[in-house]
Amino acid sequence: MISEEYRGAKQWSRDKQAVFTVVWISFLVAAVGTMVFFALFDPVDLTGIFDDDLDIGRDAGYAAGFFFFWVLCALCSGVTAYLVRTAPKRDAKHREQ
Amino acid sequence: MNKPQSASMYESAKKIYPREIGGRFANLSKIATVTLLGLFYAVPWLNWDERQAILFDLPARKFYLVGLTLWPQDFPYLALLLIIAALSLFFFTALAGRLWCGFACPQTVWTEIFIWMEQWTEGTRSQRMKLDKAPWSWNKLRRKGSKQFLWITFSMWTGFTFVGYFTPVRELGTEIIAWTISGWTLFWGLFYGFATYGNAGYMREQVCKYMCPYARFQSAMFDKDTLIISYDENRGEPRGGRKRSVDRNEAGLGDCIDCHLCVQVCPTGIDIREGLQYECIACAACIDACDSIMDKMDYPRGLVRYTTEHAVHSETTHVLRPRMFVYGTLLLVLIAGLVTSMATRTPIILDVIRDRNSLYRELPGDVIENIYTIKVINQSDQARSFVVGVSGVDGISLDGVGDGNIVHVDGGGVLSLPVRARVHRDNAYGIMVIQFSVTATDDESDSIHEDSRFLGPTP
Repeated sequence: MISEEYRGAKQWSRDKQAVFTVVWISFLVAAVGTMVFFALFDPVDLTGIFDDDLDIGRDAGYAAGFFFFWVLCALCSGVTAYLVRTAPKRDAKHREQ
Repeated sequence: MNKPQSASMYESAKKIYPREIGGRFANLSKIATVTLLGLFYAVPWLNWDERQAILFDLPARKFYLVGLTLWPQDFPYLALLLIIAALSLFFFTALAGRLWCGFACPQTVWTEIFIWMEQWTEGTRSQRMKLDKAPWSWNKLRRKGSKQFLWITFSMWTGFTFVGYFTPVRELGTEIIAWTISGWTLFWGLFYGFATYGNAGYMREQVCKYMCPYARFQSAMFDKDTLIISYDENRGEPRGGRKRSVDRNEAGLGDCIDCHLCVQVCPTGIDIREGLQYECIACAACIDACDSIMDKMDYPRGLVRYTTEHAVHSETTHVLRPRMFVYGTLLLVLIAGLVTSMATRTPIILDVIRDRNSLYRELPGDVIENIYTIKVINQSDQARSFVVGVSGVDGISLDGVGDGNIVHVDGGGVLSLPVRARVHRDNAYGIMVIQFSVTATDDESDSIHEDSRFLGPTP
C-alpha cells in the first residue's frame, strides 16, 4: 500500500536550499530593517540630503529603502553562505591522516 | 556526507500530495484557517469614527489602531509589541510544542486554503497523482486551468487586502476599478500576491523545512514536558498488516496495521513512526488518520496522539515548571509595561533645536538672546492649545510665541516656530541648561518638557 511518492521524499538540492534561504532570510531582515530605519527617518527629509531636486516622494522612498536593505542583506548572507559551503575541508583530512 | 555537487544539483524535491483527512484536528485546523484568514481579509474594511479602524498610513507616517493614532516617535511601542509576540511564541512552544506551526502560521494557513482549492478542482490525492502523470488532455487543461484561475484570483485578492492595510482600502477599490491606482501600490499588491501564490501554491512544506528559522531553533524551547505528537511504539510494534478478524495477540502483532495513512496525510511527507522530526509542523493530520483506522479496527484511539516525552515513558508530566515561570513572568512584566506606558502616554511631542549659526546676541538694555526653533506635534485627533514655557535660569523669558505664550495646533498637526529666549546679562554666563515645556490648556497633566542650552558671554 505504500506510495512511492513518500519513501524518502527527496530534499531540495543544496544549491536551491542556499539560494532560497538567503533570499528569504534577507527579505525578513530587510523588512525589519526598513521598519526601524523609516521609523527614525522620513524619506522626504533624506532625499534633501543628496539632492534638493530629488523629489521622489515617500512611497518610492520606502520602496528604494526596502530594496536597498534587501540587496545588502542578500549580499551579506549570500557571500557568507558561499564561503561557509566552499571552505576547504583540508584541516579535517590532515587530522585523519 | 555530502553527495558530489554535480549529482545533487539536479535533484529536485518530489512533489508531496497530501491526502485529505477528516477528524477532530482537521476541524480545528479548518476553524483556525477560516478565523485567521477571515480576520485578515475583513479587518481593513472595518471603520472607526469615519476612518479605517486599522490603517498603517505610511505616506502620512501615522498608524491608526482603532481609537489610537501612533506616530513614528511611538516606535518603541511597536518594538515592545514585537518582543512580546516573540516571547509568547517561546512560551506557547515550551507549553504545547509547535501549535503555531500547525494551526496559526500564515504559511500553514494559506497553504491549507490553496490545498482546498486544489482539491475542488483536481480532486482527491489519487486523482491528483493520476492527473499529473496523465498526458495533456482537455480534462487536464480544464482542471489545471481552473485551479490556476482560483489560485491567481485568490492571490490577487490577498495582495489587494495586504495593500489595504497601508492605503485606505475603500478608495483602493474604486482606484482599481477606475485604473487610477498608483504605481507603487499596484507593485506591492502584485508582489505580495505573487509571494502568496508561490509560497502557498508551490513551495509549501519546503518553506518550513529549509527556509524557516523558527522551525530550526524551536527544539531549544522543548523539554520532556512539552506537548508533542508521537507514535506509541510500545503499543504499535511489531507493526504489520492483518485482516480485521485476526486477533492481534495471537498473531503477535502490535496495534499498527502499517497502512501508511499517517504518512500519506502528512503535509511535510514524513513518517511520524520514526519519532519526533524537525520537519513535523504538528498539524495533527496523522492523529486524525490513525484514529480513523483505529476506529475501523475497533482498537482504542491514540496510537498516534498528543502526548509528552514523560507521558510516553509513563512518567508524570509537569505543566508548571521553571521554564514556564521564567517565560511567563517576563511576558507578564512586558505586557504590563506596554499597557502602562500606553495608558500614560502624553499625546504631545516637543522638539527644540538651537540655532547653530549664532552663539548669542546682545540686545540693548543688557539682555542676552538665544534663538531656537521649537516643534510641537499634537498627536491627538482634535485641535488643542498649549502654553509654551521656559525655565532653568533666573528671569528667563520667551519672545515670539504670541499672546500669553499660547500656541494652537490642529489635530494631528505639526507647528514649527522660531522663538527667542532672553536673559539679563547678570544671570547669563557660559553654557547653561534650560528647559522648554509645553502644557495643554485643557488638561494640565498633558505636559512635556525638553532640555536645551542657553549660551551667554564667558566672564
